[in-house]
Formats: sequence, structure tokens, C-alpha cells
Amino acid sequence: MKEVVINDIQEVIQGFEQNGYIIDEELATIVFLLLKMQKPLLIEGNTGVGKTELANQLATFLDTELIRLQCYEGLDVNTALYEWNYQKQLLAIKIQENSNKTESEKEKYIFGPEFLMERPLLRSIRAKDKPPVLLIDEIDRSDEEFEAFLLELLSAFQITVPELGTVKAQHIPYVILTSNRTRELGDALKRRCLYYWVDYPTLEKEIQIVHKRIPGIEQTLAKQVVGFVHEIRKLKLSKTPGVAETLDWVTGLQALGQQSLQEAGVQRSLGCLLKSTEDLDLVKNEGIQKLIPSDS
Amino acid sequence: MNEPLLPHESPLGELPESISAQIVKFSHFVRAQGLKVGVQETSDALEVAQLGLIKNSNTFKNALSAVFCHCKEDRARFHRLFDEFWLSQDNNQRKGKMKVHVERITKSVNQRTSIMMMGRQKNQPQNDELQDSQTTSGASLANRLRRTDLSKMTEVEEELLEELAEKLWKQMHLRLSRRRKITHKPSLLHLRQTIRQNVSNGGEMIHLSFKKKKKRKPRLLVLLDVSGSMDKYSLFLLRFIYALKANFAQLEAFLFSTQIVAITDLVKQKITPKDLRTLSVRANAWASGTKIGHCFRDFNENYATRALSHNTLVLILSDGLDTGATEVLNVELKKIAQKARKLIWLNPLKGMQGYEPTAQGMQAALPYIDVFKSAHSLDSLLALEQYLQDV
Repeated sequence: MKEVVINDIQEVIQGFEQNGYIIDEELATIVFLLLKMQKPLLIEGNTGVGKTELANQLATFLDTELIRLQCYEGLDVNTALYEWNYQKQLLAIKIQENSNKTESEKEKYIFGPEFLMERPLLRSIRAKDKPPVLLIDEIDRSDEEFEAFLLELLSAFQITVPELGTVKAQHIPYVILTSNRTRELGDALKRRCLYYWVDYPTLEKEIQIVHKRIPGIEQTLAKQVVGFVHEIRKLKLSKTPGVAETLDWVTGLQALGQQSLQEAGVQRSLGCLLKSTEDLDLVKNEGIQKLIPSDS
Repeated sequence: MNEPLLPHESPLGELPESISAQIVKFSHFVRAQGLKVGVQETSDALEVAQLGLIKNSNTFKNALSAVFCHCKEDRARFHRLFDEFWLSQDNNQRKGKMKVHVERITKSVNQRTSIMMMGRQKNQPQNDELQDSQTTSGASLANRLRRTDLSKMTEVEEELLEELAEKLWKQMHLRLSRRRKITHKPSLLHLRQTIRQNVSNGGEMIHLSFKKKKKRKPRLLVLLDVSGSMDKYSLFLLRFIYALKANFAQLEAFLFSTQIVAITDLVKQKITPKDLRTLSVRANAWASGTKIGHCFRDFNENYATRALSHNTLVLILSDGLDTGATEVLNVELKKIAQKARKLIWLNPLKGMQGYEPTAQGMQAALPYIDVFKSAHSLDSLLALEQYLQDV
């Protein structure tokens, strides 16, 4: 695989647009810096605004592998870095039972590369052909201890496996960390990264996204759906719908055969957009008809 | 807005000295304005310029924003500072303005600090102090201090109490971190260790090693009332929040009176008199009225997603004397209680003999409180330990 060389921000914009992803100049500048400075990029923003999708698109743009690590509370190094294949080790011990190998030789064998299972972080460091995109998704869900470990990894891009020695990255991966801000990340990690806050897109941009992602959608329906979503984002909802929900809703409305937004159709499909009874009640009390933008 | 910042195109890698100096100055400028910008960020900014992104002001602004900002709140401030520094005026004007800025901040800090300190001294007449000290005669000094109402302490006593509190809080932290719960659940097998141990047995699992599931550490959210009625207690309770930090790595702290102010970043630093000064500046409404419900609404709208989860222990330190609408408090506290693991309300007034929570604010809050205790003395704060360990 040949490495993609980028010399200009415009190349980033065009490259992403070719793949159907709308990227503004600010984000393109930051992607350009990520590629040139090889610093991790921390993206924060509300859920469903396309943080994870950026990593997918970057991997497509660079024609490289996307390696994803989904964080959660209790995530440990074994799940993120490497683990031994225990079943295979047990079988190997049985097979070697009557061999002439000493105990330490047997142990050395079963803790060799053949029995190592690479997890995302090790895989990203051992990439051979070209730098992969490493997506560390929802880092705010992991524990502070894991964050500290990650900090160490992101500064040296090398990992020590006690049984095998130190593995240094041949190609430094392009790292994207996402956070929904459910907790504040440590200063040290933040300062090691470039930072970008993803806001909800503007009306025009979101209409463009809908058209790109769902080709063939009626112009009126796209405009009305996005207008409606923008209106309800102004309400004090417990879970504000993101772009992902807008796209889900459009797909839902299409499946119901809707050409434009009608109160009855909205009533039936609002579950694609809102995920709690309180939010549903709030929108219904506000008056669905009032929130539907006119065709013009 | 799109005018070039460099008069002539600069070839990559050869940044004119004047531009480098300007970028370094800009780093100093934004740091003086409160952004966390250090040597690494400055060096990154120079790299950004070397990449040729300085040719267009918007691109340069976006690029520096990625380097200098570390959270959403930084961004708006950064954009304003960028425009102020690079686009609005020439160098001399900028220097003058920076000087005025720094002077204004220093003056404001000093003023607020003196107001705060005056408030505390004013509230403690000498005779009362003497009387109260005497009422607990016979007990040892430490025991007496532990029971004395925080609002009735002399300055000397306050210092002694702080020393004592420091010691006792450390002990509390040690006990909390050492205490283990009895479990009847079988542990998880530690496969790596087990296999290693049984290589000599031909893989027969004779010696087993176990690992324990990691205990999820609770998060702590503290909401401290700094309104006028709480003035006598606020500073000491603030120290208590700092002490709690030792046991709760994930601690979020807020001050409230007529508005809510996040102080998590300050609590994470080691406490110094300067921090307290900064706190008093940040909490504009220190020692003013109380609108608990409105503050909680603000909290729910702006901070709850980040600071509240089913694993969060919420600690409210307030006397519940609310001048706002109690319905708002009722609704907003319900929202907090629904999301939190446990809601503890510490009320300094509860230490008074014959106190009944008849205040409208307290009445509205009581249905959602899991633990309602006093917070008037060091002993009452230490008693909180039993509720903190059981989470």
C-alpha cells in the first residue's frame, strides 16, 4: 500500500468530499495538522455529531487500516494491549508433556509470539506497511488509570511485553480520541493532543449531510426534517438528537413512505429521534404541527 | 478576516524572527488571560506557522485553536483573544492593553480578597468567641475543637482546627481506602498466572491463581452553598472538599449562591491562598443571596451530563435557606437525585439544638435526600465517613 502524501488543506477538503463526507475548513485544518504534526487529535462533542465517523473517513481518505478501541469503565490493559491465547497454551503444554524440553524452555515457548493475541493498541504499533488510524473511542468512559497508561503510550509509541521485550512503532499511527465529556479528562492527556469541539452542524450543512448520506431523498423532506430537528434542539431535552438521529429518522420516514413531514407521520416515527418519554412528552406538548417547517 | 498575517510568503522552515517573537508573545498573552498554554503549546504553535498556515488569518486561527484550546469553553475565549491580538491593533496598543488587563485582574483579586476576609472577621465578635470557648471547658483541646461550631471560632482556634482537621481527614482517607467488604462470590481465575504455575504439572490445574474484579470507584459531586447565610462555614467546608479530593480521584465541585460556578479545576490543584483568591473572584456571588433551585437548574442544563452518573455520590453543603421559587428546587433536585447514586445533604444549621428543617427550601428538598446530617463542626464532617464507605 502506498502512503498518501498531503501538502495542502484543500486536498483534505476535496479528498473527504469525494468520499461523501462534508468537512469545513476548520476541521480540515485540524486534520492537516494531525497528519503533519503526528499529534493525537482529541475530539469532544455531544453524542451523534459524527466524531467517530471522522476517524472512519480519515482511514478511507488515507487508504489505511482503521483500528478501533472502544473504551468503557473497567477497561484494562489486557483488553486494550495484548492477551495470551490460554486455550492454545494449554494444548501446547499437553503436546509437550513427554518432550525433553526443560520447564523453562516449555514456559518460554508457550509465552512466545505464536501465542500472543494482539489487541488494538499493540496492533496499531505493530502495523507494517503504513501508519494506521487508531480510534480510541469514548475515552471519557475509561478509568483514570487507563488514561495515565495511554498517556505513556502516546508519548513514546512503544510497548513493553514482559515476555517478549519492547515493541516500537515502525509507523506512528494517526490517533483520534473521542470524548462525550461525561467526565473531564486529565490535563496531561489534553495537552498532548490537538483539540477540536464538534458542534451540531448548521441547518445548511446538515441538509447537505442528509443529501450526501441518503441519496435520492426528497428535497422538501430533507429540509423539513432538518428544520424540525433544529427546532427541537432548542428545547431543553434530556437527550438532544444528533446528526445520527436525523439520518435514522429520515430513513424511518422513507420506510413509511413519507414524501413530506405530516403531523401523523411525525407522531409515529418520533421514536427514531427522541429516546425518552419525558422528551417525547415535551415535544408533543410544544405542538408537533408548530415545529414542522412549511414546505417553502 | 482573511487578510494575510505575513506580508510576504515565507518558505517552509524559515520563519522570520519577528513572527516567531510575535507567536511567543501571543502565547504569553493567552496564558495571562487564563488559557493553559505552556512551552509545548508554544513550540507547537511555531510548528504550525512553519507549516505555512500563517498565510491566512482564519486558517492560522483554526490551527492555533487546536493547539491552545483544551476544552469547549477555551474556544470562544481563544477566538476573542486571537482577534484582539492579531487583528485589532498594532503592537504598541496591544502592549498597553495587556498591561491594563493585568493591572485590572490584580486589582480585582485584591479587592475581592479583602472583602471576603473582612466579611469573615466582621462576623466574629471577640466576646462570643470567648464565651463559646468557655462553654466546652473541661474537655481536651482537640476534643473541644472537634465539637465547636465552625461559626464561633477564634482565629487561633481556626488555625489549630485546620491542623487537626488535616490529620483526621488523612486518617479518614486511609480507613476508607483500606476497608474491605466481605464477599461470598468466587473470584475470577487468573489464567496467565495459573498456566505459568502449572507448566510442570503437564497443564493439570493443580495450583490455581485468582484475580479480583476491580472495584468501581464512586465519583463525588460536591455543591457548596457560599451565600451570605453560609458565610461563616463556607471557607472551612471548602477545605473539607479539598480533603475529600484525596479519596475521590473523580471529584467535581461547584459553588452556588445566586449563580453556580465550577471550581473542579481549582480543587484539583494543591490549595494555596492564591487559589482562594481566585475562587472568590470566580464566585462573583460569594456571600450574597441564595437561589438554590435556579442554580441547580443551571447545573442540570450545563454540567449534569458531565458531572452526574449512576456512580456519582452527590454531596450538598447548604443551609437550605432559599429565596427563589421552591417548586424549581423541587423539580431540579429530583432530576439530580434520579441520576445520582446517593444524595447527601449536610446542613450546618442541623447542629443547632432544636433545629427543624422547616425552611421552605429544605422542605422541598427533603423527599429526595438519602442522608440528611449536620455540618457545623469537624466531628460532624468526620461522621460522613460511614456514608462515603458504603458506596
